[in-house]
Amino acid sequence: MSQITTFFQTAPVNPQQAGQALWLIIALPLLGALTCGVLGKIIGRANVHLVAVGSVLGSFLLSLLVFWTINDFNAWAPSPFGPVNYAVGADYGTWFAAGAFRVNLGLTADHLSGTMLLVITGVGFLIHLYATEYMSHDAGYWRFFSYLNLFIAAMLTLVLADSMPLMFVGWEGVGLCSYLLIGYWYDDPAKAQAGKKAFITNRIGDFGFLLAAFLTVLLVDALAKTPVTNFDHGGRMDAATAAKRFGDGVQAKGPLAFSVLEEASNALPRVLQQDIQTGPLKGHLYGSMLTLIVLLLMLGAAGKSAQIPLYVWLPDAMAGPTPVSALIHAATMVTSGVYLFCRVSYLVVLSPKAMAVIALIGASTAMVAALIAFSQKGLKKVLAYSTVSQLGFMFLGIGSGIFWAALLHVVTHAFFKACLFLGAGSVMHGNADEEDITKLGGLRKEMPWTWATFLVATLAITGILPLSGFFSKDAILDAAANNKLEHLEWVLPLAWGMGLLTAAFTAFYMIRLYVLTFEGERSKDAKVPQAHESSPVITGPLVVLAVLSVVALVHGLPIMHPYYDSGARQTLMENFLDPVFRTANDLVRSTRYIEIEKEEHLPWLAWGRAWIIALGAGGLAWWMYRSFFPGRKPATSGALAFFKKLSFNKFYVDEAYELLFIRPTKWISTNVLYKVVDAFLIDKVAVGGTAWVTARVGSILRYFQSGDAQAYAAMMALALAGGLVWAVLKVMP
Amino acid sequence: MTPIVPTANYLLLAAVLFCIGMLGVLVRRNALVVFMCIELMLNAANLTFLAFARELGDATGHISAFFIIAVAAAEASVGLAIVIAVFRSRGSVNIDDIQAMKH
Repeated sequence: MSQITTFFQTAPVNPQQAGQALWLIIALPLLGALTCGVLGKIIGRANVHLVAVGSVLGSFLLSLLVFWTINDFNAWAPSPFGPVNYAVGADYGTWFAAGAFRVNLGLTADHLSGTMLLVITGVGFLIHLYATEYMSHDAGYWRFFSYLNLFIAAMLTLVLADSMPLMFVGWEGVGLCSYLLIGYWYDDPAKAQAGKKAFITNRIGDFGFLLAAFLTVLLVDALAKTPVTNFDHGGRMDAATAAKRFGDGVQAKGPLAFSVLEEASNALPRVLQQDIQTGPLKGHLYGSMLTLIVLLLMLGAAGKSAQIPLYVWLPDAMAGPTPVSALIHAATMVTSGVYLFCRVSYLVVLSPKAMAVIALIGASTAMVAALIAFSQKGLKKVLAYSTVSQLGFMFLGIGSGIFWAALLHVVTHAFFKACLFLGAGSVMHGNADEEDITKLGGLRKEMPWTWATFLVATLAITGILPLSGFFSKDAILDAAANNKLEHLEWVLPLAWGMGLLTAAFTAFYMIRLYVLTFEGERSKDAKVPQAHESSPVITGPLVVLAVLSVVALVHGLPIMHPYYDSGARQTLMENFLDPVFRTANDLVRSTRYIEIEKEEHLPWLAWGRAWIIALGAGGLAWWMYRSFFPGRKPATSGALAFFKKLSFNKFYVDEAYELLFIRPTKWISTNVLYKVVDAFLIDKVAVGGTAWVTARVGSILRYFQSGDAQAYAAMMALALAGGLVWAVLKVMP
Repeated sequence: MTPIVPTANYLLLAAVLFCIGMLGVLVRRNALVVFMCIELMLNAANLTFLAFARELGDATGHISAFFIIAVAAAEASVGLAIVIAVFRSRGSVNIDDIQAMKH
């Protein structure tokens, strides 16, 4: 056993070389995108498949190598603040600089990025493989695979970046690819519109991200000018040396590198209650600026990860091809907000107010999305709202300060939700693109592989005990129940209650979806009388993902040695991510902004409760949709019908946004910006005015253009004479 | 020994010649006469050059005068050619009849 452990904890390649070669992981799919995009039509369908799938597979293998390397304790990434253990990385020098401000181009893979690397390239590879079959009849295959590869490259940039600006490049890149792929069938106006909606909604979030980055620059610069005593490292290093090291680090890496922010977070607790003394933020509290930064990051994350108030784009994003929904809008891109907060966990834990907001946003998003999912008829629509809801759980985890569980939920969710989406794609593939669940049914025998994998994934998401979804979701709810935020003790229990309720909702709508699709009789409105099972290229990835969504439970088992200040054993994931969250954990212990309580024994009670909730709500759905509504008649009784209408119309949020934001914007755009500014000021006054003045001046000047050469000569002579007189007057004393 | 003529006299003569030439250019209507007036102005300039060359004992003025004579010859030939061309096309060398240079 120990030999096996040693084997996997010995780096297979030189960690320094691995760090230098990290860019290859990004370059492979980027090259694939270029090849498919430029040469795709010439080299033909089979070659495009080879290039696209091959490049992601290559990336996956490299990621495995990197992942193996960072398991070695001797693997370290260079940083101005001493080597970072369990990581590899490289700094490729200055990217851009202006005055004292600079940004370095650097990549780092630690346990957090490493986990994301495997999810992105692993699930990405399976979905690429699936897409070769799913898109086999589409004429624009080369465009599709080019976008898909580009997305993988952008997402890898996002997780490998070691500074906020480079992360933003990936952040924008995935947004662009998301837009391109949602509107992939651009000749359908509704789908093009969905793409635009996603893009514009994400712009609002990106605006928040940028503002947060700007504020961070000012905050770090102000912090570097505070007295050296703030940088005391608790005896490990004297304050003056630490302060100098921080200043040098900011000089060397720029204020937006994550290593700089991590170092800054060690000094921040001492100044949180003080006013900023220098710079444009002078006079504001460090603490309130930090809260503002985290909240602006939350706005960015809300855009990308579809949280209230910006979640509306994700359900519409299902207009894209199903592999896209599985890869971008379930497994990877939408989790980048969670990744962002895990990355800056040390800043998040310093602001209990921001954490309370994040937890509440997460919990209410989870609940609202689950309520909407109750009555949706589209197979992918239900899954989309379910994704929004599960993302809400992840943010609830962030807000509760249990980052590893949020990331574990990202991973398990990537497995089972990708499996569900690909399963939905398989169902549509076998039923002539029918996605209305009231017109499906009875697919259990006709599509056995799809059925089995879909069932496993459904059970995983509902949180039935032995499956992975249970462990990640329960860890989050557990933290929400036990942790307390300073001065805001009521927030997490409230969020926990909402989370618990949402867990029941999840079980209900997922079982409803499953029953209507796979159980019972085949609907009379079905497009094809007999569904056909998809080819092994489609079911293969389904099986792999279903297996993964079961075995991922290992990460949630409390099998590692106990935490050093409590008797509770660590779960595998918590132990694995400990190097990443160590700074945040230390800050939580020293600041006491979050009160963390850990149960020393296995939480049987919580586990039993979760199981009862999942079984109860799922069983209710099963009973209602199997026996109570065998003919699938809609519920017609008063309150229920009213709720159903409300839920089916998504609580009229889109309509409200239309009325509150889109219409006023359009009105201002039409009546002020277009009619006044553009048509009147620019067109009439500026452009038309220039032409008018020129014409008037010209019509006066034309009288001097008689064509008489002698008149011209006379004018020249007069001017010369004038010049002469002036010169003579000048030289006269 | 004839007495040396002062340079100012040459310059005055040149100025008078130049003014006569310019007046001719501005008021005469016959293109040929206008041409002759231009030659007059050029020679006024020549005279100035030579007067200063003599005053300063510098050969540069002489060289300039030669240049002007050469250019004036070329200009006269081209100009006369234009006058002939104009006469052939319009049957007149009166400047009032040639007003193509307008808007």
